[in-house]
Amino acid sequence: MSDVQPPQPPATVTLTVDGKSVTVPKGTNVLEAAKQVGVDISAFCYHPGLSIAACCRQCLVSIEKAPKLAPSCQTTAGDGMVVHTTDPQSTAARKQMLEFTLVNHPIDCPICDKAGECTLQKLYFENDNANSRVDVPKVHKPKVVDLGPHVVLDAERCILCTRCIRVCDEVAGEHQLEMSHRGAHEELGTAPGARLDNPYSINTVDVCPVGALTAKDFRFTMRAWELEATPSVCNGCATGCNTEIHHRNGRAWRLVPRHNPDVNQYWMCDEGRFTYHELREDRLAVPTSGGLPASWDRALAAAAQQLQAALKTPAQVGVVLSAQASNEENFALAKLAAAWKVPNVFVASRAPVPDRADDILRDADVDPNRHGVAAIAPGALGMAELEAAINTGAIRALVVLGHDLPLSETGQGRLREIDALVVLAWREIGPARAATIALPIAAWAERSGTITNRQGRVQRQHAALPPPGQAVAGWEALVRLAGATGAKLSWTHVRDVHKDMVAAVKAFEGSTWARDVRPIQLRFANSRG
Amino acid sequence: MGAHATDHDDSETDGPKVLSVSPRNPRVRTIQIHRPAPQDASFLAATAKGLGVTLRHFFKNVLRGKDHNYIETVEYPEKKVDYPERFRGLHRLMHRDDGAVRCVACMCCPTVCPAHCITIVPAQTDDKGIEKFPAVFEIDELRCVVCGLCVEACPCDAIRMDTGEHAKPVEERHDAVMTKDALLELGARSTAVQGGEGAAWRERK
Repeated sequence: MSDVQPPQPPATVTLTVDGKSVTVPKGTNVLEAAKQVGVDISAFCYHPGLSIAACCRQCLVSIEKAPKLAPSCQTTAGDGMVVHTTDPQSTAARKQMLEFTLVNHPIDCPICDKAGECTLQKLYFENDNANSRVDVPKVHKPKVVDLGPHVVLDAERCILCTRCIRVCDEVAGEHQLEMSHRGAHEELGTAPGARLDNPYSINTVDVCPVGALTAKDFRFTMRAWELEATPSVCNGCATGCNTEIHHRNGRAWRLVPRHNPDVNQYWMCDEGRFTYHELREDRLAVPTSGGLPASWDRALAAAAQQLQAALKTPAQVGVVLSAQASNEENFALAKLAAAWKVPNVFVASRAPVPDRADDILRDADVDPNRHGVAAIAPGALGMAELEAAINTGAIRALVVLGHDLPLSETGQGRLREIDALVVLAWREIGPARAATIALPIAAWAERSGTITNRQGRVQRQHAALPPPGQAVAGWEALVRLAGATGAKLSWTHVRDVHKDMVAAVKAFEGSTWARDVRPIQLRFANSRG
Repeated sequence: MGAHATDHDDSETDGPKVLSVSPRNPRVRTIQIHRPAPQDASFLAATAKGLGVTLRHFFKNVLRGKDHNYIETVEYPEKKVDYPERFRGLHRLMHRDDGAVRCVACMCCPTVCPAHCITIVPAQTDDKGIEKFPAVFEIDELRCVVCGLCVEACPCDAIRMDTGEHAKPVEERHDAVMTKDALLELGARSTAVQGGEGAAWRERK
């Protein structure tokens, strides 16, 4: 809703919000219209990606000629409408609603994980800041309720906005949460016989405007205000959900979805959120030569020696691109293969997982960049051909990008018999263990690069974290390897790789390299609720 | 400067011989000083006078007894000076009624700390009313600038700096890091009401 179509004369309405005139498409609600002129009407139950419940009454505004205050989320903007948000009547109404919401709220901000990104906290500081006038005991409700595999509920903190229920119903398509009881005793819980176990369950935590729902994965690890956010794209599957990496001190603490109306709306799946864990698992931090740690110089010299013997007959040499690596890394390796005149170019890709596919976001294709690598190396051979080439012994030297080389057991055994197996990987598993030379490269959260999702969108992943140890970006490792073998790749920055790639590959036509972003300090950002 | 200084003008007849007087400020004068030759000077009298003062204090202190002597020197470290009540010293962590740590790992103190000397790793407790506690709570007393902001920020009277003790000298830097156990050892049960006083706080005067 926030990115509105270009206005067409018959389909727009013009209204006035706090004296500012705004023209919006017909059907836009008053709250979104106000947002366009910088009037922020914060609310609990309204979420632009969900249906409208209008149950929190926190967005009440005065509309001239209307008999009483109207919830701006539910009121469609009309032509000539005059809306006031700062008049005494609506200001008082919102203040009273806030006080009402706070009656039974435990106000345990110090131990609440939402503190710092909580809508209730933000509105309290902005609007009210008054002491409680209620001196009867608060209604107590269950705490630390295990709703499902990933989410914990604190029913006392819940302000009954029903956003989470609507996320389950409308996004995940499964009715797993429900309200029960009435009045002050109204309480969120799972629907009878259900658990909050849909693959999109942590979106309920994102939309929760207070700390009622918390993710087990993130809970109690970091305070929101300590984190920095860097935009990225999920590396979990071909959908390419836009994400933010929340990190601190060079370590990622969570992934949250970033709004993109054309890809993932406001959502992402739970599995995608957990992909940041692998950034700290089995990392290859220093080059290895023959399985032992080596300096870059020694590893490169050894690689050059092994490769140059094989490169005398390029038909015996193979190059394996990766459907998990960025376009730039793959392009650099394809360029190196061309410089070496190596005819055998393969693409390593994982087998699709049909079970995980749905028509929401999750794709059966668990490779984030299958489409990009297909555009860069259209004639590249697949895993079956690679397996066959290794098993027949036709390949004597192999340069592999990435740690994911799903070969059969025979193939993995034969891989160890190859004379020169140079692997550029960020995890020391699979081929990186079998390698004669392994070169450490930066993972997807540590380097800038683009990946192409299933729609063919080229999306940018920004570098959020420093690579561990001596790891460098994949393209840079390839430039070093090229230099050691006497081939010439003369890039000095990943944007140069991107530029050459756009010029060389038609599928990337028109793609431009955006500047690196500085991480946003969540301490200074508005509430995310 | 003031009245006293102006009294002292050049009408004085005693004193050294005045060679010239500044035309702008009559108090600035060039004078002639007569000093005895080195072989004629003797400091014996002055030395004896000074020793006399020392001896007078010595006998006073010895004869008047421990409680009434004038000795200002404190025999540190056997004896220590009492610091003011609000002196900020080593940190300590306060206890709940059951002896557990009061801290709920809210991260307010590491957030406000200008020296980044507090490290907290939160974890979950079995107590559903508390939920959160610090699995690790460490303060690097070498980094601490003793500003007391952590105490100000603490919402539950968990951290205090009222031990009245300095950071101790250490041989290794890591010895200056106070662990949770060390901080708790200095701590005591807090008299603040656990979980706040609730809605009735206004009635208390």
